[in-house]
Amino acid sequence: MNLQFLKAARDLSSHPKKTLLVVFALILGIWGAGTVQVSYVLLMHDLQANYQRTVPAQVVFTSADFDKLNLEQFVGKPEIEAAEFRDFSLHRIEVRPDVWIPLWLYGVENFNAMKLARVFREEGNKVPLRNSILIERDGKLVSNIATASIPRVRIGNTKVRIPVSGICFDPAQAPATQDAFIYAYTDKQSYRNITGMAVNHRLIVRLRNVHSLADVQQRSKALVDEFRTTGICVSSVDIPKFNEHPHQWQLNTLLFLIGSIGFLALIMGAVLVSQLVKSIMAGQIRQMGILKAIGASRFQLFRIYVLMLLVIGALAGLIAIPASLLSGWAFAHFVAGKLNFNIITTTLPLSVYITLILASLLMPALLSVSILLKGTGTSVREALSDYGISQTTVGREFPFLKTLHLSERMMLAIRNSQRNMSRLTVTVFAMAFGVAIFSTGFNVRQSLWELLTGYKEEMRYDVQVVLNKAIPKDEALKPLGSLENVKQVETWIGGRGEIQSKILSTDKGAGIVALPRNTSLLKLTICNGRWLLPSNDFEVVLNQQAMELYNNPPLGSLLPLHIRDKTINARVVGMTRQFERAKIYADKEQYDALLNHDHLINTISFVAKNNDYQKVIALKKSIEKAIAPSGLDIAYVMSQAERVKIIYDHLNIILSVLILLSFLVLLVSAVGMASATGINIWERTREIGVMRAIGATPNFIYALFVNEGMITCTISIVLGLLLSYPLSRLAALFFGKLMLGNDAELTYAFSTSGFFITLAVTLVFGWIASRIPAKSAISMSTHAALSYE
Amino acid sequence: MIILKGVTKVFQTKERSFTALNNINLAIEKGEYVAIVGKSGSGKSTLLNMITGIDHPSEGIIRLNDTDIGHMNESELAAWRGRNIGIVFQFFQLIPTLTILENILLAMELVNTIPKAERMNRANDLLQSVGIPEQANKMPASLSGGEQQRAAIARSLANDPAILVADEPTGNLDSKTAESIHSIFRSLAKAGKTVLVVTHEKNSTSTYDRTITLLDGKIVSQESEIGAL
Repeated sequence: MNLQFLKAARDLSSHPKKTLLVVFALILGIWGAGTVQVSYVLLMHDLQANYQRTVPAQVVFTSADFDKLNLEQFVGKPEIEAAEFRDFSLHRIEVRPDVWIPLWLYGVENFNAMKLARVFREEGNKVPLRNSILIERDGKLVSNIATASIPRVRIGNTKVRIPVSGICFDPAQAPATQDAFIYAYTDKQSYRNITGMAVNHRLIVRLRNVHSLADVQQRSKALVDEFRTTGICVSSVDIPKFNEHPHQWQLNTLLFLIGSIGFLALIMGAVLVSQLVKSIMAGQIRQMGILKAIGASRFQLFRIYVLMLLVIGALAGLIAIPASLLSGWAFAHFVAGKLNFNIITTTLPLSVYITLILASLLMPALLSVSILLKGTGTSVREALSDYGISQTTVGREFPFLKTLHLSERMMLAIRNSQRNMSRLTVTVFAMAFGVAIFSTGFNVRQSLWELLTGYKEEMRYDVQVVLNKAIPKDEALKPLGSLENVKQVETWIGGRGEIQSKILSTDKGAGIVALPRNTSLLKLTICNGRWLLPSNDFEVVLNQQAMELYNNPPLGSLLPLHIRDKTINARVVGMTRQFERAKIYADKEQYDALLNHDHLINTISFVAKNNDYQKVIALKKSIEKAIAPSGLDIAYVMSQAERVKIIYDHLNIILSVLILLSFLVLLVSAVGMASATGINIWERTREIGVMRAIGATPNFIYALFVNEGMITCTISIVLGLLLSYPLSRLAALFFGKLMLGNDAELTYAFSTSGFFITLAVTLVFGWIASRIPAKSAISMSTHAALSYE
Repeated sequence: MIILKGVTKVFQTKERSFTALNNINLAIEKGEYVAIVGKSGSGKSTLLNMITGIDHPSEGIIRLNDTDIGHMNESELAAWRGRNIGIVFQFFQLIPTLTILENILLAMELVNTIPKAERMNRANDLLQSVGIPEQANKMPASLSGGEQQRAAIARSLANDPAILVADEPTGNLDSKTAESIHSIFRSLAKAGKTVLVVTHEKNSTSTYDRTITLLDGKIVSQESEIGAL
């Protein structure tokens, strides 16, 4: 074997603890970054791949006149890639006894030849039996429904039992678990039979040679005009986000999050490795001198130590690469499960493996280049006279400490902790960063929680009933007159997606909610402008998503809204911040005067006398019972608590990952601190021997090093908590924009529980990180310590 | 031949400057066995460092076998040193993670002047010549001080240097072992090597061809077996 390689290998094995710690630090860094890289590649690719596998429609036209359309001829147009009818209607399904949730029912032309918006068989029949349905697989998670079960479905004002003949998978849909509804699919004939509705009213289309949303919008507009010439009046055009899964935002947030944390793990691992390599190199300085004295050139020395670091990298890679592949796949599967898509990639791109291998092999060497250059550049004389820590290093005096009357041991610990200022700085900053990230995780969580609490407080009703069709108020309230625990009832008109703000819309357009302007059931936080007031203008207040949808109209400007074939110029008077889809709030009185002469309503809001959770749920059930025998066509009955839960479920995955990953960062920084304390101890092994020789007990030395560690830990906590303030503000800003839209801001919030958890966890980590090396410091005999090189 | 002309070495610290060598003029012939003696701080180790190129003089010229080493950079010096000078240290300075044999082989591998095929035999021969052939495959830590120093001498001879320098080579050894080390040096000098030994052991000076005494960085006497030069 090459002697230089042999030396490198033996040097490593002669200090197994140091070597293992470097390898461990590298494993941690590479594993963290590798997991992120693997899951990033898988998730980024597979969400899109799942989505594209369905061949998603780019535009959806709704019209009652499509019987005039020659579909074959339409599909034959050069600009049309594919088109088919996919009728859709909203119903309700009983998922557990007396628990009803919305059912999105699709009527499919031909299950065996779905050209667009494909669904895939999971179990049971691929093609549903006549008058039965297929349930999207995520629905199983929010219900007791399975293949062969026959749930009750409320179609309009009638209840029917519809057999489930199979489970399918539709990765293009937003996960049913997060929105608490069920997607179902049936064939066209069964759709007609089940719903009693006319078919071929909803045309889904995919266009050729479109490259952006603007392209689709332009072509769609042209198609609407063309339809009009053939007598087809299009009532709505929905254009989803171009080539983007509905929950891409969630994935983007997650990927950004794990990407940042993975990067941090890598940086912290790198700091750790460079510190450890520095310590190893410190122990090798005299040997470098010897080697130079017997004829080794600087390049030869450099090669020997690079070889040593390559061995370390290879050892770390052997563990970290398979581990990061496993955890990367596992994490990708976890996220895919939450977002209801499959990980379909079977082989990762070669570049992932190459990156991981190169990172493992080269990271320690690259991180140590400056140390190696410095070490190998040391003159023979300096190297031969090197005995470790500089004898000229002295602790700084802090006069105020004398006034604290600290013990000699504590004073010594304070002085010792700042003997190597550069290491102390790196350790403190790494640990402080870990503390700051961990604390920020809690603060962001608190911000989101306060947003939800605020949302709950803004919506002051306890249960809301939304009808599929607007009907007279008396008719709607008739079956609901004898309910118990009802303090107040208010009726509104509008609802999500019920009224399209314009024919050509993206993301379902904005919903309009017309409600009494002096309502006490909705107290929105106005972040710009004001709430609705009596006016001659048709005043509207937009939430930030609606503002974004309409390109941020200035306050006071007139916004032309297309509602029910009428264009109304609405005066924008305020903006509100909500974790909601695009919504426009208007005064019901004005709305009725302009658009709703019959004073119809479609939303009934109830305030409970006793709004304890159980009482509210009981009220919801009694509402369900009351409307069951009635002819009301219900879209959904939902309690506020459930609504908040649904929103929380949307955020939960992000919050959980945020806390988990920030905990990992803290863990890595604690390992960094442990290693720094370990290096301090190694460097001062002779000093420990001297101290023991002059009478220091093992307990004294143990306590000295634990005190040193805790001093570092305390400085880090203080610095970290201070750092967490600007970091939390930045994170709140970022997550707010990502989740609520560009004009929204998540308000900074301080999490008291997070503060104490951070404090406790960091102190425990710090204590463990000090205790382990301190224990090793007292395990060596005085003789061994004195003769340590 | 080793020639030093007007060699001065000044160490500069923040607080003060210290002249370790002051205008040293010296000539050492091939095959001479020379001792450099003096009290602690007299400048003898600094002088040795100048001769081996481990340190550079502040002033003056150092020539070894017609090579002016004052103008070489660190890498050139390392390569030159490996080929021309063998160094023996007071604390042996063997690589602790290599066996005795491997220590010698490493010196050959680094300098690369001895053909590969000859290295193993040469290393064993060197161990034989210093009297520790049976210790070839042992780690340095398992050898006695005397054996480690013999191993260090064998390593210093690995690349067949013309000059051998030893810094307090017997300072850590008992008198009997020290005597045996001196006899190795004597025989090497007889074989044509120039041997310089830094020592503070006045008692052993009689074994040298010449004894150079330093005091406060200056040569105060040069004595040989045949009398003062």
